[in-house]
Amino acid sequence: MTQFGTWQPATRGKVLYSWPRGACEEELRFTDPEQLGSEPYDVAIVGAGVVGCGLAYWLSQYELRVLLVDRLHDVGEGTSKANSAIIHTGYDAKPGTLESKLLRKAAADWPDLAARLKIPLNPIGGIMMAVTDEQERQLEAAEKNAHTNRVTDVRILSADEIREREPNASSDVRGGLLVPGESLGDPFMASIAYAEVALVNGVDILLGTGIAGVELGQSPGAPLHHLVTDDGHRLPARRIVNAAGLGSRRLADDYNGGAFDINPRRGQFVLFDKCARSLVRHMLLPVPSTHTKGVLVSPTIFGNLLAGPTAEDLPLDDPAATHTTVEGIRRVMEGGSRLVSGLARQPVIATYAGARCACSQGSYVIRYNDGTPGVVTLTGVRSTGLSASISLARHLIVGMQKELGLELSPDTAALDARPESAWPGWWRRPFENDATGARADHGRAVCFCEVISEGEICDALDSPLKPRTMDALKRRTRSMMGRCQGFDCQVPLAEIVSSHTGITISQLTKNGPGSELVAPGQAAVTA
Amino acid sequence: MSDAQYFKVAIIGGGPAGIGVAVGLAKRGVGPVVLIERRAEIGGTPMGYRKKPGGVPTFVEWTRGRVVFGEELAGRLAKRLAHTNTAIQLGTQVTKIDPAEKRLTLLGPEGVCDITADAVVLAAGAREQTPAEKGWLAGARTSRISFTRHLTGWLERHGLLPARKPVVMGSDLIAYSAAAKLREAGSDEPVMIDQRRSPGAGLFERLFFRRWTRPDWSGGVTAAEIKGDRSAAGVQSSDGQEWPGDGVMVCGELVPNTELALLGGLAVELPSRQLQLARGQALSQPGWFAAGNVLRGFHGAQWCYFNGRRVARAVSRFL
Repeated sequence: MTQFGTWQPATRGKVLYSWPRGACEEELRFTDPEQLGSEPYDVAIVGAGVVGCGLAYWLSQYELRVLLVDRLHDVGEGTSKANSAIIHTGYDAKPGTLESKLLRKAAADWPDLAARLKIPLNPIGGIMMAVTDEQERQLEAAEKNAHTNRVTDVRILSADEIREREPNASSDVRGGLLVPGESLGDPFMASIAYAEVALVNGVDILLGTGIAGVELGQSPGAPLHHLVTDDGHRLPARRIVNAAGLGSRRLADDYNGGAFDINPRRGQFVLFDKCARSLVRHMLLPVPSTHTKGVLVSPTIFGNLLAGPTAEDLPLDDPAATHTTVEGIRRVMEGGSRLVSGLARQPVIATYAGARCACSQGSYVIRYNDGTPGVVTLTGVRSTGLSASISLARHLIVGMQKELGLELSPDTAALDARPESAWPGWWRRPFENDATGARADHGRAVCFCEVISEGEICDALDSPLKPRTMDALKRRTRSMMGRCQGFDCQVPLAEIVSSHTGITISQLTKNGPGSELVAPGQAAVTA
Repeated sequence: MSDAQYFKVAIIGGGPAGIGVAVGLAKRGVGPVVLIERRAEIGGTPMGYRKKPGGVPTFVEWTRGRVVFGEELAGRLAKRLAHTNTAIQLGTQVTKIDPAEKRLTLLGPEGVCDITADAVVLAAGAREQTPAEKGWLAGARTSRISFTRHLTGWLERHGLLPARKPVVMGSDLIAYSAAAKLREAGSDEPVMIDQRRSPGAGLFERLFFRRWTRPDWSGGVTAAEIKGDRSAAGVQSSDGQEWPGDGVMVCGELVPNTELALLGGLAVELPSRQLQLARGQALSQPGWFAAGNVLRGFHGAQWCYFNGRRVARAVSRFL
């Protein structure tokens, strides 16, 4: 059953990085648009977050030339990486909205999608917990809202029923709402799996490549546009999808996109050690107030416990949008302790913050031919992007077919799944089952906290997207994500990456140029 | 599984404390004994502090009344271990324990296997607190936020500096030794920041390190944030004071490696993760003991070795 070794398929698409010489292997460097061929792209997607990757995955099922481009050095590295990793049913979405419709569709698709793409998923269900009289009064409306959204298995629980299910629930709990369909997902693997399959099917992926502007085509009908990269390369495309998230406003200015404003909404999270996992059985959700959805306490798919997020509106381009604050962490602990007693004495291993893409014009803003023919704006996918990514992509493709004249003829050779060997190692647990294909280096643990082996690191380095940053490896393997946060394994890991790829240790980065692990300008040392 | 290999005593961790236990048991004629070390070499933390001319010696060898390099001290201890009949399993990690059955599950180059023992000693050492664990340090999660363990890794193994303008968070002996090592390797004089009002390292310790470093000290910082976009660019306190730099060192304040005990159901206090100890450093289940820095706080390598020797006495009495 357990299958080892990397999935190393022949890829029809190319993955390239705009990196200085030496920061990755020469054959992975993007230096000339000719590397991608001279044919214009049918669709170029700007932004390789979970939404952009999901769209690339669906487009790759058709005979189209598709480009996925991102300024960061891995897929899913922006907003998509720092969230609560819940696959929502959409029970609390505003009825009748596009968001609610897409979430409902996606919820039905997720079990099959996760199994096909090898995305770890755990359907543990959620309980919305009321801890004040006022919140208790809101439960009925919340149940009604869920039923209106056709999430029919949602029902109200009494305080006693909750205590039976959640022995560590706070003593203040008055009642709650059971939401059986909420699932835990792997927040990182979704983007990666989408992008890997897309790449195999022929989508070109360009990472570490910022888009400085768009040169608009002038011819009437279907004009040919060009994306201009930060290095001045021109990439021809007949259609452009702006899925740039927090960067979508700036990009929209380049093609005269309509009015919308983006505000990063910072969410800070506290991650507890694995011993805290046994505290709860479901994800415990607060009753939302008018201002915020509140702080939830949830297990993670990795076996930790998570509390968060805060909701702090920050100005666009605020560098602190992904920074944590002592005050914010205190508020998360306070909020979490209102739902679960004993949370405060659990050991914290890490804190992090993500910036949700909140749009002043509402959620899920989609505009076809926005300001310019052939350009699609997709923005305001606040915090449900992971859950809705799959139905949103299909919705967009139908829209592009109708509004942009995108011709869809299915690619019969296209894959829509990843093989067994693509399951992440931490999920398939090396050596613990009847492992086939395991090598000796699968028995050499490097990351002791998560028990991740040298073999798994090498497998990840050889995987289709050729991840070359420490953070990209971390998201694929879980190395450095355990309780010691890389204390023991950062240096040995860097040595493995260096000897496997030939990148010098002094040029290895956490997440791309500028984030070198050692002070810059030192001698080139290879492990 | 009935094919679990049996040992009289299993020792988890091949640092000074684990070696002390093995040597102590050998002197008492207890056997067979297995020592399980997850790294590829015996010696533990001190082994990472290589001997080099002009370097900073940071390990006190009380019995000889001098300060030496960790590698020297660990080497001497390893030699004593080599004279015993202890079975040594390198590159092998204990992934699970069953305290009642005294059964350990191991992951090693050969795959997964179980062993059983009449007594088990936890000598798994400690690690440095993460920024989040400190509770008063927040901010950016950039590159070049390094532990002292990273400093020794980069510096001793590759001759690379994790920071040229370091900001050291913490002020205990480990923090001072990190500052001295950085300075000796060519960094600027470090800034040193801590929540404590006066440095955690004692006066004599600070005097010892004055030969290499006189860090620019700021104490009593109650809340601070790491600044920077892609790499650490310094630290800012909640009252607005800024200490620019090109790397942040997160030093000292050790957390005992008690996860195996915790997940296995042995009594551990939270959130400190300290083991609950009985006489002879026995743990909450009969036949389980702890030695060295896994206990709590911070002790030198030689103290850990002698502590291991003492625990060996308690173990043989138990047997």
